[in-house]
Amino acid sequence: MVTTPRRTAPAGLDWPLPHPSWELGARLDRELGDPADDAGVHSYQESIRLDEGEEFPAEQLAALDLWGLAEYYVPAQYGGRLTDYQDLSQLIRMLARRDLTVAIAHGKTFLGAAPVFLSGDHAAARRLARLVRRGARVSLGLTERTHGSDILAGELTAENHGDGLRLNGEKWLINNATRGRLLSLLTRTSPTGGPRGFSLVLVDKDELPEGTYRHLPKLRTLGIRGADISGVVLQDAPVGADAVVGGVGGGAELVLRTLQVTRTLCPALSLGAADHALRLAVGFAQERELYGRMLAELPLTRHTLAGAYADLLLCEALNTVAVRSIHALTSELGVTAAVAKYLVPSVVDEIVADLGGLLGARSFLADHYAHGRYQKLARDHRIVGIFDGNTMVNLYSLVVQFRALARSFLAPADHRPRLASLFDLDRRLPEFDPGQLVLVSRYGSSIMGTLPAAVRELRAEAVGRPALARAAALAEELDRTARELHERIATCTSTVGDAAPASFEDARRYSLCFAGAAALGLWLHSHQAAECGPTGELWRDGLWLEAVLDRVLRRQALGGPARLSAPAAGGATETDLSERLEARLIEQYQRGSLFSLLPCPVAEGPVSC
Amino acid sequence: MPAVTPLEAEYRDWLVTRLSGYLRRPENDINVCIPFSEYGMDSVAALSLFGDIEDAFGLYLEPTVAWDYPTIEALARFLVRAGSDGAL
Amino acid sequence: MLSRLNDTPCSGDPAEGPHGAGTTHGQAGATPDHGGVGLDAGERQIRERVAAFEELLGDPHEAGNPFGNAALLEADERGELSVEAERALAAFRLNDEFVPRELGGNLDRIDGLARVLRPLFRRDASLGLGYGVTSFLAAIAVWAAGDEAQRGRTADLLRGGGRLAIAYHELAHGNDFVRNEFSARPDGSGGYLLDGRKDVINNAGRAEGLVLFCLTAPPGQRGPRSHSVLLVDTAGLPEDAWRVTDRYRTVGVRGCQVAGFSFERCRVPADALVGRQGGGVETALRSFQITRSVVPGMVLGGADTALRTVVRFATSRELYRRSVLDIPHAQATVASAFTDLLVCDSICLAATRAVHLLPEQTSVYAAAVKYLVPKLLQDACYNLSIVLGANFYVRDGDYGVFQKHVRDLPMVSLGHAGSAACQATIIPQLPRLARRSWTQGTPAPEALFRTGGGLPALDTDRLVLAAEDDALVASLLAAADRLEGPREAGAELAPVRALVRALVAELTRVREECLALGPHDRTAMASPHAYALADRYTLLLAGSACVNVWLAQRQDGGDFLADPRWVVAALTRVCRHLGLPLPEEADEHSEWMLAEVLGRYHEGRSFDLYDTHLAGPLVDDEPAAARH
Repeated sequence: MVTTPRRTAPAGLDWPLPHPSWELGARLDRELGDPADDAGVHSYQESIRLDEGEEFPAEQLAALDLWGLAEYYVPAQYGGRLTDYQDLSQLIRMLARRDLTVAIAHGKTFLGAAPVFLSGDHAAARRLARLVRRGARVSLGLTERTHGSDILAGELTAENHGDGLRLNGEKWLINNATRGRLLSLLTRTSPTGGPRGFSLVLVDKDELPEGTYRHLPKLRTLGIRGADISGVVLQDAPVGADAVVGGVGGGAELVLRTLQVTRTLCPALSLGAADHALRLAVGFAQERELYGRMLAELPLTRHTLAGAYADLLLCEALNTVAVRSIHALTSELGVTAAVAKYLVPSVVDEIVADLGGLLGARSFLADHYAHGRYQKLARDHRIVGIFDGNTMVNLYSLVVQFRALARSFLAPADHRPRLASLFDLDRRLPEFDPGQLVLVSRYGSSIMGTLPAAVRELRAEAVGRPALARAAALAEELDRTARELHERIATCTSTVGDAAPASFEDARRYSLCFAGAAALGLWLHSHQAAECGPTGELWRDGLWLEAVLDRVLRRQALGGPARLSAPAAGGATETDLSERLEARLIEQYQRGSLFSLLPCPVAEGPVSC
Repeated sequence: MPAVTPLEAEYRDWLVTRLSGYLRRPENDINVCIPFSEYGMDSVAALSLFGDIEDAFGLYLEPTVAWDYPTIEALARFLVRAGSDGAL
Repeated sequence: MLSRLNDTPCSGDPAEGPHGAGTTHGQAGATPDHGGVGLDAGERQIRERVAAFEELLGDPHEAGNPFGNAALLEADERGELSVEAERALAAFRLNDEFVPRELGGNLDRIDGLARVLRPLFRRDASLGLGYGVTSFLAAIAVWAAGDEAQRGRTADLLRGGGRLAIAYHELAHGNDFVRNEFSARPDGSGGYLLDGRKDVINNAGRAEGLVLFCLTAPPGQRGPRSHSVLLVDTAGLPEDAWRVTDRYRTVGVRGCQVAGFSFERCRVPADALVGRQGGGVETALRSFQITRSVVPGMVLGGADTALRTVVRFATSRELYRRSVLDIPHAQATVASAFTDLLVCDSICLAATRAVHLLPEQTSVYAAAVKYLVPKLLQDACYNLSIVLGANFYVRDGDYGVFQKHVRDLPMVSLGHAGSAACQATIIPQLPRLARRSWTQGTPAPEALFRTGGGLPALDTDRLVLAAEDDALVASLLAAADRLEGPREAGAELAPVRALVRALVAELTRVREECLALGPHDRTAMASPHAYALADRYTLLLAGSACVNVWLAQRQDGGDFLADPRWVVAALTRVCRHLGLPLPEEADEHSEWMLAEVLGRYHEGRSFDLYDTHLAGPLVDDEPAAARH
């Protein structure tokens, strides 16, 4: 089985259609209605109201059920419509651009169900698929009160009892723990624990005898205040032997493999939040007068907006390649997911902070400007960097792979996966095979591995096209940076389990290089077709690529978040780049398009001026 | 305890040396019967061992090999078998 | 017009040199409870007041304490200031801190004001702003430009526990406050008629006095002399001519009662005018120099608590079979945050003392500190939040206070001067300072960098709108010379030397780029590059403050601030923030700084230059979760 067939146009003539996944996202957005229309269920105003009252968005979730969103959580082989993870990613992104609480509260079912769908336990998957498609919410129970992200310290036990198991213990800080009907729980099945001492148990609360479980109160949280973040306590809760998914002792491995997929989808939440933030900021700049001029005319404003847009495109390029790699480079997803899950939320946190500076007081007022949407999204978004593997966890998982990453980059093994379909947006993706998910990539990162050749290819293209010269120069610098980085991490990786702070810094730099390599691959393989489409201006002359590489290298140079001293001394070329990019940003804003490399209308429609 | 073959001893010595380097502990501090995790090597870190072994001995292993054989003793014994089978 | 807060030097004399009455440096850091032997009266008073205040605030972990975390979090949830806490602050006569000594209050040193308010900001920025500082921000215009009667009235109001609100801004014009529309037209009989609205005003609904910034020139004659400051007694206002508008709800400092005013032909008497008619912009800009200098030094307290909360978490929680604080990344984050706090406090110290010692240069330093400190503190808190992990996201419980400070910090930083406004103050001055002062300026007196010690009286008349000289930069160069000379030749100082050299090299580059700035860069149309230069410049000022604070402490030796390691760590952070390649000698001294953090945490001492004693029992490590 292959994913939805794509029409291909004769090269250079016609961009076939908008990308089907982007089109699907646009359809969802359209059908949810104009969020600026206060009367709608999915309106910005309603989101704010629910947030204020810390109310669960039950009505919104029910409407999404009706729309059929849950179908996209269920792989086609189990009766759902999930064939291409790009679809799911775009759907999450479009939901998140309205309201992260809703996106997370609904999307959580995918996180909860994914371990079952990816386990290869077809019977369990089919059972769960039926429930999910009928609107049952599934929750993922990994964390406990005192162990944070250290999931293998978990104390909730599952012990053999008769034909089945008995569960005892508590899971805490669990999204939808109370409202979810089903719980995928990581349970300790061996008293001594260890990586083979845990099992994944799918619990259906509807089937538990009364008195064997209770819910912990909803926690008051900084953001996504309406979400059901709570916990569950199990007391001699009986489940059948078939509730164990992925085998006794296989829980840790199953969870870690599943997290590779879900961590690759989480960045879509950040992309949506960044779109929301940028849309508010552009709107504000265009209507706000300061010092006798429109805010949008001030060079600093334009630079800030263009920078945020470039960062957003950087995140989108990385995320696009990462999501495609679920299908096309499954065996290396451990690396790819860690990079995406770390980098995208972190960069979007920076975008939100920078644009908040532009909005000034309005970014803090709860109801004055644009219903107080900015302050909500700023609070809400901080969760994305925390859940499903936080920054430290993701960087650490790169650190422990440094030796393998360096080895394969500096002396590539004779193993060359075919990456054309990965980078070419017009190519079909192979069907996703969960069996190919491995905990550690055997050959490092092939995406990073494409960098040297891609740089040569861009340089060759630039020979006849001076407009590409700066992008090519930046790419060469990236190549040098990446080589130095790999040489460094190859030699200073002697500590495991006790990684030095400098290695976290290297993991951060690695992620940036990776994002640059992904962007370069994407542009090289997709630009010819994309240049003929509605967003062609962004692709022509390597505009977005140049901007993205510029942002990557800027962050490489700085020790931390790039906010201080971000705009370096720039010549005319840099100003020119910033202005050309800003023109595209304004165009997408006014046309009512998603801020994206690919065309995708938003439900607000064009901005009337 | 069965006698340790020369090959198994080689694997053991190699693993002790690696572990002592990673964990910054003297080699004679490392007991081959104690699980890696007791030395502060967490499960994620343990996954990285397979690549080093592949690299050094040309064996094709599952990344979870150090999970399934969580001590030097168990891992060395497994590697002997893995070597004779060619690959696993 | 009286403009001196005090006619006699308030305490000590900085000119007395390193062994004069004002030399308490070093001891301040080493022995927080050093009974004040050898201290001048002013410094002793500040320390006693800080200690008394901290005692009033009590144990933050005590359940029934109105200044405890639990009570403050609950008040924040309700969007209120606790009545009990406000009453206690009134009984403590906190408002006396905002009233000049000659008018019966305690105010004579701006650095002292920051230090006395810091303990309150460690607890709660809402109380800090909502109870007190807002009144000071308003009153300073009266101290600076008011007549005898206005000063007396204002002093009486504040000393009696009353409140002043300040209304410079209108939301529509933001920091561009010269464009304000709110008007006060002469009513023909000497008084004024007020018309218009003011938005986002703290304590709007409950202040007895208002300081209003109004357009007094006829329409069409708008310019730098078109605005005036009025001091208005709300009790005397005709009831039907003004009203308080709806409260604004804010994401941070939720307890603050932020609202607005609407006036319609509201008559106020002639004696409302503060200073000259048309002198409003100047009064405002002068007042800002003081408020911008002093507020960051208070706000620092919030970051202290954020760091303390993370240390509490990291020492008591276990992750991957060890305490979170055994994880090197967490260690480094904690150590770096502490270092950033010291960097911030060094520039706060220099800025607040500059108000007394270098008033002619304060315009730039005030803007720099107001811009840089909140930024560094917010970045530090972002990094600390990563250590807290999911606990960062929970609004109550043991660590809930962290997210409150994270929400509050940007709000108090924005206040009356957003980043852009501060940068806009700095940028136009850069080419001139670069040309005139950055190669041959006069270094600051050593007293600028002392953590204690007397200061000349504040003279607001000497606060000018543009600086002629730049002593902080000159002091950086002087420090470099001193470190290269025979006096500080020790090999152990090689790292300091290398880092200062790196900063001086950066200064040279910044200078060249500043000299090349075009005329358009002096305006709001300034290029992003000009803003980046302002960033780099402020960081260089911070670097200068750090190295000079350390040099000033070195005579005494022995204690923490005299140790070169903290300054090496601080300068390394500054170089990192600047994005400079680090010299080989750079070192964040994470282990040593972490040990200092833990020492202060366990013994209950502040994470700043002053190392003061904090209320509450000594901290025993809660046992980490049982090992498996």
